[in-house]
Amino acid sequence: MSSRIHRIVPYLFVLPPLILLAVFVYGPAFENVIFSLHSWSSINPDWEFVGLRNYRQLFANPVFWVSLSNNTLYAVISVIVQVFVALGIAAVLSAGIFRPRLNTFFRTSVFLPAILPVTVVGLLWQLIYQPSIGLIDQFLFSTGLGNLSRVWLGEEQTAIYAIILVSQWQWTGYMVALFMVAIAAIPTDLYEALEMEGATRIQQFRYVTLPGVRESTLIFTVITIFGAFKVFDIVWVMTAGGPNRASEVLGTHMYRSAFRDDVVGYSSAVATVIFVITICVGIVQLMLQRDE
Amino acid sequence: MRHHRVTALAMITLFGSAAFSVALADTTINFLHKWPEPENMAYFEPAVEAFETANPDIDVEMEAVADEPYKDKIRVLMASRQVPDVFFSWSGEFGKNFARGGRAYDITDYVYDGEWEKVFPEAALQPFKFEGRLYGVPINVDAKFMLYNTSVFEEHGIEVPETFDDLLAVCATLNEAGVVPINFGNQFPWAASHYIGEIIAKLVPNDVRTADYALTRPADELYTHTGYVEALTAFQQLNDEGCFNRGSNALTHPIARGSFLAGRGAMIYMQMVEFGRISGSPIDESGWDFFTLPAFSDGAGDPGIITGAPDGFMISSETENIDEAIQFLKFLTTPEQAKQYVDITGMTSSVKGAVTAENADERVLQGLKYLDAASGLALWLDTDMDARSTEVLLAGAQGIIGGTETPEGVMEEVRHTAKLVQQER
Amino acid sequence: MAQAMAHRVQRSRRRAIVNHGGLLLLFWILTAISIYPLIWLVLSSLKTSSEMFGNSWAFPEVWQWDNYVQAWNAGISRYLLSSVIVTLISTLLVVYLSAAAAYALVVLRFRGKAAIYALILGGLILPPEVALFPLFQTLTWLGIYNTYWALIIPYTAFGIPFATFLIRAYMVKIPIELSEAAAMDGAGPLWSFRNIYLPLCRPVLASAALIQSMRSWNEFIFALSFVESENVKTITIGMMSFANALRSDWSVLMAGLVISIIPVLLVFIVLQRQFIGGLTQGAVK
Repeated sequence: MSSRIHRIVPYLFVLPPLILLAVFVYGPAFENVIFSLHSWSSINPDWEFVGLRNYRQLFANPVFWVSLSNNTLYAVISVIVQVFVALGIAAVLSAGIFRPRLNTFFRTSVFLPAILPVTVVGLLWQLIYQPSIGLIDQFLFSTGLGNLSRVWLGEEQTAIYAIILVSQWQWTGYMVALFMVAIAAIPTDLYEALEMEGATRIQQFRYVTLPGVRESTLIFTVITIFGAFKVFDIVWVMTAGGPNRASEVLGTHMYRSAFRDDVVGYSSAVATVIFVITICVGIVQLMLQRDE
Repeated sequence: MRHHRVTALAMITLFGSAAFSVALADTTINFLHKWPEPENMAYFEPAVEAFETANPDIDVEMEAVADEPYKDKIRVLMASRQVPDVFFSWSGEFGKNFARGGRAYDITDYVYDGEWEKVFPEAALQPFKFEGRLYGVPINVDAKFMLYNTSVFEEHGIEVPETFDDLLAVCATLNEAGVVPINFGNQFPWAASHYIGEIIAKLVPNDVRTADYALTRPADELYTHTGYVEALTAFQQLNDEGCFNRGSNALTHPIARGSFLAGRGAMIYMQMVEFGRISGSPIDESGWDFFTLPAFSDGAGDPGIITGAPDGFMISSETENIDEAIQFLKFLTTPEQAKQYVDITGMTSSVKGAVTAENADERVLQGLKYLDAASGLALWLDTDMDARSTEVLLAGAQGIIGGTETPEGVMEEVRHTAKLVQQER
Repeated sequence: MAQAMAHRVQRSRRRAIVNHGGLLLLFWILTAISIYPLIWLVLSSLKTSSEMFGNSWAFPEVWQWDNYVQAWNAGISRYLLSSVIVTLISTLLVVYLSAAAAYALVVLRFRGKAAIYALILGGLILPPEVALFPLFQTLTWLGIYNTYWALIIPYTAFGIPFATFLIRAYMVKIPIELSEAAAMDGAGPLWSFRNIYLPLCRPVLASAALIQSMRSWNEFIFALSFVESENVKTITIGMMSFANALRSDWSVLMAGLVISIIPVLLVFIVLQRQFIGGLTQGAVK
């Protein structure tokens, strides 16, 4: 009797998480795939099995391809800025070039945007981008660069870049902090040895820092890509995918299909695509993390 | 240990109190509308209180979501099976959709009880009907007019345009003088849909247009009338010939309206229910008037048509409190409440005789006269077409402004989507 | 020779100073870009709307504290309260449940351990967006749509995988002898979890709690879809309603934005080091 209880006890510890995950994480993800094979709407919820029709519609829909390429753009720019630029900034801040107080001030300042809710960030930048009266246009006009002014969020050519820029503003500092943790983990005697040989700071970066953060860099890259393909919030707040769907990403396309166009099956097909993409990225991440 | 108890206690208080307060009243009706702005809540809050005082056994739980997100929110609620007992709906296809799906209560017999229906003009009830039955009660009637700054028009010797070409000429004159001709905010493209809807109504025959919107025409004839492309071309002309302010796709309508009210623009296309916001603004002092969007010399549609519609409330088909819900709607449409509504919000109540010279501007009364005299009413395009085709058309309108779409291309996409929707319906 | 040497040292030092100066300038610019928008936000929130557009760079002529009164009266406190409740409960749940699971995975012996860990960890790669509509239906079916639980439970479920991962990584470093000794004395697993492991894990529990509370506080798409009533909306979505209702009154809108970030900002300023330290424990955005 008591040994039976003994055998059950460990499972009691892991049971609540497993139930929560089954009902609220795995279950819905699985259902989503089922949904994507049906046609139905929230107002008139009659199910109809349609096979792969939603996927055919999806791949024939130019908005889907616009969304996908916007996500890709998002990923590429984010990797450049939030991984490579952030690594550079982190290396400088870790090298003790500035006075310690100034160093902390720089680090804290660039980190600050990361703690703000995305709604606040989005609304704030909407005001900053506002034509003529926003901060950017005021700056351009007051410095005689008025002819560079664009309707940043209102032009199809610039809207997605304007949003991506905000995302970099918000997250680069956070990534800098992450890199600083990674750099701090590199044994200092490696630097000391090189310094004895008279190596410059750049050489130290090249021969110690870079190899030292190689794995972290890989993981951060994967995380950044992961984030770029599931992005929804900042786009929804700033443009809701407009103008003319030019800044639509997979997340907003999915949301709009479900809750505006009322084609739930189609929306689930979009969700499945996001799922497939992120699962590929996610598996790479898990593998890297395990290696580490 | 003590910590745990405190947390538990806090949780019980937090979650229990809500349940407790509900339990005090006998019946609760949930009420959802789309006027969360402080100036509108200033009417709804006291109105709900007054109703609760008059009916102590009924508790009204009111929520309000702004216009644009409302379209998503009501669909979410429909899907969640938690439809509020009384909810806002636009008239036209938007509301018919609920009737078609069996989600709205058939209130024909309640309204046509020999008394209540006399409160409303029949024209305000008509757009809430689906297959001959009534599903909504109108709260206001609205119409879209082109407002203009009279002192700017005088200063530049401009006459009220009588044809569409006149309007384009006015824009040219104003541009030469360095004045923004029309304040336009199209970040949420329903704004463009109001222009386009009215122009379509003037260029496409009524029966063709309504059949297209309802998707009752044969699939290969849907949206094929040449008037559609002409209408988008006219809209394109407005944009390309500089009638609109810069950056319209990045500005919201309230911001554009703010510019007009501050005197930074000559015209704005605006709803009658917004007229109340003008009082006390700079434009109120410098003078304003309005005209209907001018007709086309050779349009195939109805030249005398006006864009406008009643807004109203529907009752959920799943409600358990139909009598209380009806009682509440009756209360909101009593003459006293309707007067309050007009007094406080400046909106044009759908209740006969609620808008008078005492509580409304003469121009509001004039607008209502135009509405009475109009040869027809084109409902808001974005709530009169099916949701998916509308989304395509609206995005296309932004593209036309941005110069990345052509009228032909947009209509091609609309046709494609409309066919899909028709097939799946 | 000595002179040449001195020259070279001097030159390289001069270059170092120039480099240093360039870097310093660069970092000041970076810092300005990071925080100037926030300073602008605060300044603008204290101006009148027309002053804000006409005179963007200057200090307010008259400090318009009334903007804050108006914003507060428009109902921000409700949103803040909801956010606090949802964040607090979901964080407590995530930390406690994850710690328990991590404890079992590290200390206890049972069959299927590896599979169970993989199952929990697998939750990391499922983006919440994918589950949106089905989850929405599940919540409706459970009758908790539009309640705090509609947010608390999904936040907890989606937060557990990472927290378990984090806490487990810390627990494996605790010598197993500790619990074995306790077991010899007849203590059950629950006792040793509560009295040995939880206290020892305090630092990592704090990090996990911080990370989870930031996630819950800032979460967007669930909050947008799973609650509807104003008095259940969290601050992220509440600010959307707030902005929609006040589109034309910019200074009040900005005052509202400032109010909404004050709580997190205060915590951040007071606990800067712990904050950054905790959030960088695991890379989660």
